[in-house]
Amino acid sequence: MSDPAPNTGPTDAERERIAALPFDVALAEFKQVVEKLEAGNLPLEQSIALFEQGVLLQRRCEKMLSEAELRFQRLVEQAGGKVRALDLSLGENEESG
Amino acid sequence: MRDPIQPMQPQQAEGKAASLPILSVGDLTVLIKNTLRAAPKLREVWVEGEVGQVSISAAGHCYFTLKDDKAQLKCVIFRDDRLMMPFEARTGLRLIAQGNIDVFDAQGAYQLYVRSLRPSGFGDLALQFEALKAKLAAEGLFEQARKRPLPPMPHNIGVVTSLNGAVLHDIRRVIARRWPLARIVVSACQVQGQGAAATIVAALRRISRWTDDETGRATDVVILARGGGSLEDLWPFNDEAVVRAVAAHPCPVVVGVGHETDVTLAEFAADVRAPTPSVAAELVVPARVDELARVNQLGARLNGALGQTLTSLRQQVTTETRALEARHPQAQITADRERIGNLLDRAARLVARRLEVDRTTLARAADDLPALAAGALSIARGELGRESAALNALSPYATLERGYSIVRGPDGTVLRDARNAKSGDQISVRLQRGEIGARVESVRDSTP
Repeated sequence: MSDPAPNTGPTDAERERIAALPFDVALAEFKQVVEKLEAGNLPLEQSIALFEQGVLLQRRCEKMLSEAELRFQRLVEQAGGKVRALDLSLGENEESG
Repeated sequence: MRDPIQPMQPQQAEGKAASLPILSVGDLTVLIKNTLRAAPKLREVWVEGEVGQVSISAAGHCYFTLKDDKAQLKCVIFRDDRLMMPFEARTGLRLIAQGNIDVFDAQGAYQLYVRSLRPSGFGDLALQFEALKAKLAAEGLFEQARKRPLPPMPHNIGVVTSLNGAVLHDIRRVIARRWPLARIVVSACQVQGQGAAATIVAALRRISRWTDDETGRATDVVILARGGGSLEDLWPFNDEAVVRAVAAHPCPVVVGVGHETDVTLAEFAADVRAPTPSVAAELVVPARVDELARVNQLGARLNGALGQTLTSLRQQVTTETRALEARHPQAQITADRERIGNLLDRAARLVARRLEVDRTTLARAADDLPALAAGALSIARGELGRESAALNALSPYATLERGYSIVRGPDGTVLRDARNAKSGDQISVRLQRGEIGARVESVRDSTP
């Protein structure tokens, strides 16, 4: 029997990679996966692997959209001319000015 | 005019009474009024001076004096004109008033009826503005072809404005609501007064010198913004160095200065001109709800595509099985069915699990999404349910239901031939419900 061992889904490395993707990259990959799967003509194993990858990508996108918090920073010039971003807090109550 | 050599005598006055009519105050005032009105130079007057006392009447008219070191002039702005003016007369201001001279009969006073007001020096500024605009336009700085498109999903958004004031708050609020996935980096500058232009140029340069330590990314887009103000307040945004720095910036710049009606040269040089700072913030980021709807739509397509794949595979299996049955030994058919069945089974479980995932994310998404999009999602959910049922029918579990079982050897492979097992092997037996761990007692080889 020349069957490959049953596919156990995305590897941990792949899961970690997807969990760290920026939104636009995750969305672009997700779109590619969907289009590839829609085009068909793939062996079942590969279809399922794609599907699982798609699910991970979708989760990544949804998570970012629902949980992201805006980072708000200020650029400061340091000795030597290097510019760094430091967290900036404008209290929500100091509305005046 | 009185003749100084011949002072007027009562008799003479009486004697001339017939030829020189005695006027009433009212008649005289009308005479003066008509004389003034007939003077072309007084019909359209531009006069520059310092504003003295200002008062606004109950009816809303504004009365003030304009003065210099030699004289003063009474001025009035009627309520309707006053409300249309972008600019108010305030004591101490130097300004240029435009209007006509007329007489206010009841007070016997001539005054300027003001139709427009401009800050003093406006003429110079307007000339400078037009000259610089023509020069920079000739260089091609404002050409449409130079304008760069804004990135659809910026990671890092540079904001050049004052740290004080509502503008920064507004920009932050808009982006936090629409696209909190981004990061704002503020490069502070002075937005009015002496030296402001230089600080704006420095702030733009500071942004172009920055990249994120972790990712190496620079800003994707820059907002240059300032709230409303007088023409003089907005003047730094007409400064040549500022305009050039906007045009030369390495990433696209959106300029939102003042109100809709304010126009500055920096806006002409911008890649995108926004009518106000808040609109500038709206323009640089996508809306989170739109992207969520897009992601959900792709999710529905993903489910649909897998269902499609499985359906066509099932048809293939049926066709191939029929062909096999005609030619091959039973064992081979069973093995192929087993293999395909395993895959389909895994697919079925995946889709079933996926359904659970979707239910929770859908519940969350439904709060954020308009009712329309939520409706589309519930349709997608229904389709998933049907697909899942169809997959279950394909699954080897359907076979198990009829009393068959699947036996796996110690390495997890399915046992199809007794010769592959030996006494003492740990095997597992998958039944319709649950699994049995067992040990091989004996092996009998019986060829079919």
